[in-house]
Amino acid sequence: MLFSFFTNSFTEEFKFQKHDRHLQLNTRSKTNLIPKKLKIEIFQSSLHQEEDEDELRKLLLSDIGELTLSPPSATQVNFVSYFITDFTKPGHDHYIYRHANGLCVVGLAPTHIAFKDQGGITNIDFNVGKSDRSVLKVSGKRKKNAMRSESNTALCKVSTAIDSYIVRCCVKGSLLEVNERLIKQPQLLNSSADREGYIAIIMPRPADWTKNKESLITLEEYKDKKQDGLLEPCLL
Amino acid sequence: MSDESKPAPGGLLNGLETQKTRRVNEAARSLHPSAVKDLLSLGVCERCILRLVTVTATFDSDLATVSSSTLRGWLGSGVEEAASPEPSICIVCLGVLQFVFSDAKQTLVKSDHVAWITDLVKQQGHEFDSFVLEVSLPSTISENERAVLLYLKGKYSDEAWLQSEKVSVKDALKVLVLDPLRASLGAKSDSSSFHIRLTYSQASDEAQGLSETKHERKKRKTDIPTLADFSSAIFRVFYADEENGSNCMSENPFKKVSEPCILSVHCNKMPIFFGGRYFKYSRNVSQSRWIIDDERMGEASVEEIIGGSILPACLGDSYKFHAAGREDIDVRMLGSGRPFLIEVQNSRKCPSQQSLTEIEEKINNSEKKLVGVKDLKFIGSECWAMMREGEAEKQKQYAALVWISRPLEEEDCNSVSSMKELKILQKTPIRVLHRRSQLERERTIHWMKVEKIKGNAHYFLLHLCTQAGTYIKEFVHGDLGRTTPSMGSILGCRAEIIQLDVTDVKMGDS
Repeated sequence: MLFSFFTNSFTEEFKFQKHDRHLQLNTRSKTNLIPKKLKIEIFQSSLHQEEDEDELRKLLLSDIGELTLSPPSATQVNFVSYFITDFTKPGHDHYIYRHANGLCVVGLAPTHIAFKDQGGITNIDFNVGKSDRSVLKVSGKRKKNAMRSESNTALCKVSTAIDSYIVRCCVKGSLLEVNERLIKQPQLLNSSADREGYIAIIMPRPADWTKNKESLITLEEYKDKKQDGLLEPCLL
Repeated sequence: MSDESKPAPGGLLNGLETQKTRRVNEAARSLHPSAVKDLLSLGVCERCILRLVTVTATFDSDLATVSSSTLRGWLGSGVEEAASPEPSICIVCLGVLQFVFSDAKQTLVKSDHVAWITDLVKQQGHEFDSFVLEVSLPSTISENERAVLLYLKGKYSDEAWLQSEKVSVKDALKVLVLDPLRASLGAKSDSSSFHIRLTYSQASDEAQGLSETKHERKKRKTDIPTLADFSSAIFRVFYADEENGSNCMSENPFKKVSEPCILSVHCNKMPIFFGGRYFKYSRNVSQSRWIIDDERMGEASVEEIIGGSILPACLGDSYKFHAAGREDIDVRMLGSGRPFLIEVQNSRKCPSQQSLTEIEEKINNSEKKLVGVKDLKFIGSECWAMMREGEAEKQKQYAALVWISRPLEEEDCNSVSSMKELKILQKTPIRVLHRRSQLERERTIHWMKVEKIKGNAHYFLLHLCTQAGTYIKEFVHGDLGRTTPSMGSILGCRAEIIQLDVTDVKMGDS
């Protein structure tokens, strides 16, 4: 019985010593219980750990060569920007950011007539046409129950203090999502219409897109067209 | 029935002989002479006769040694000798139990069947010390057997030997072939991962023996009903009702079998697994092969680099790559590496640990240094448990280079570091929305740490530890506001992610 008590305490002590990174050698009798080879191994593994961490840091910082002052934004890197001006009515300018996977983010371009009104946009209403666009729920990978929209299907109605304007899809495809945050925070449209203030995400079919593309203009052409200084720096 | 205990192993040869002859004599006595004569005249081989007519439950190699002439001898005089110089092919087993078969080119195989099979197995080049034998026979054999049994029932109804359970052709073949094959290959035949499959198939498309099943008819390329179809249809109408079997035929409907079956031998080894951890040092290497419109995206792939080195060492047919999670093509995998499995199909030999270590070194010391491997080793059946281990609790650690639109301040570092177990809501990112469902996912950021970069207040290194399934890039730049809270909203400015590295993939407790 005495022997078993001895071995139990030995194993517990042993475990404690093994996990401790810096060996705490309390009494000489306990030190003698740990074989010398293990002591060396434990010490070496802790050294390796520090070495590995140093290696990692070197790798992480290796690419930090030149850090530009203002790197391109995520939207600029991942999306191709298109614009459409005077859609169905003069002054109704929209942007369409198309991702490499085919999805299009649609919103108001900075030269949209709604921004010219005093006080900017105060309200947005998705209940236009036949249904409320903000309650549609698309399910599954195949995007069932998505509303099929044409380019002139009404998306929402933005209102300012003076007037209200209808925003249309501009792209023919399935409507996947509308930005319902705008309902509670319509000022997003005034502050960042090109990022958090996007209106909707539409998934066009490849055939529809190639046809649609012909009526759109690129960023360069858009800048040329609207050269009367209404462009905001965030678009650059 | 007398107690037929098997002879003790290592018993005296004389003892064995007498046991064997006693059993054979027993079998001989139990035979019904006129039934045997009938079957012989129909063209059934001696082994099938013994299978169908004896009362003994087991058919073993002792009975197999009974040849056609011995059988006739038992029946005494009055049996006409077979006039054909060559033994005809049995109409029931189609030559399978007589070891008469053709090779792939449809030429009759003259050499000893065991030697022939052994040769083919050795040609395929597998290393093995045990095997499992599988046999596949054409379905007409069971049809033939059923027809013959019905015929016998019609003629000799209610005999004792008709009622007993018959040993199937497949079992009989296995009994006959297993021992000699074991000796010839020098291997055991217990449960093993190496399978030898003997496939017998019919030479021609014509109905052989009696009838052709629907399954085999589907395999025929043309759909024109032939005379064989009609005749077999008629026979099936007759045989459908077993009770009326005795009224059926007056003449011999069993056609002669002209060609033996074609035997092909296939060897297959169960897949073997190798595991380890991999590192990805390049931002232009995808995890698995990625080809769009015949054009490869990225320079290479982790799957091809690792699998392509292991496959030649195993002499396998193909490989599959499984990893515990994945990362984008422009994200490096550093730190402790990501666990992965390589599954090799039909490997011919299992490489030693030494050669695995050599492969590991070769990959790590390659010129381009795109991928690294650690702890490459052979893994047994616990491989899937290893992959699934701690999947739900998997935590990942990342280091991201972040840019913000305003200079970093001290209180930003503190506020970020103080956020523990931050819950974020992520809508499916736009970059994957085309192939994943529109869902709102709640994830946890366990901790974050800001590391300042000397000389530049707009950039910093963000270390974070998150729950599995978190989209880091979207957490930093906000994904047009669809991920809340994001790095930008926490710091109150615009934030962009410049580069991302995975620094740790924690598996369970390790």
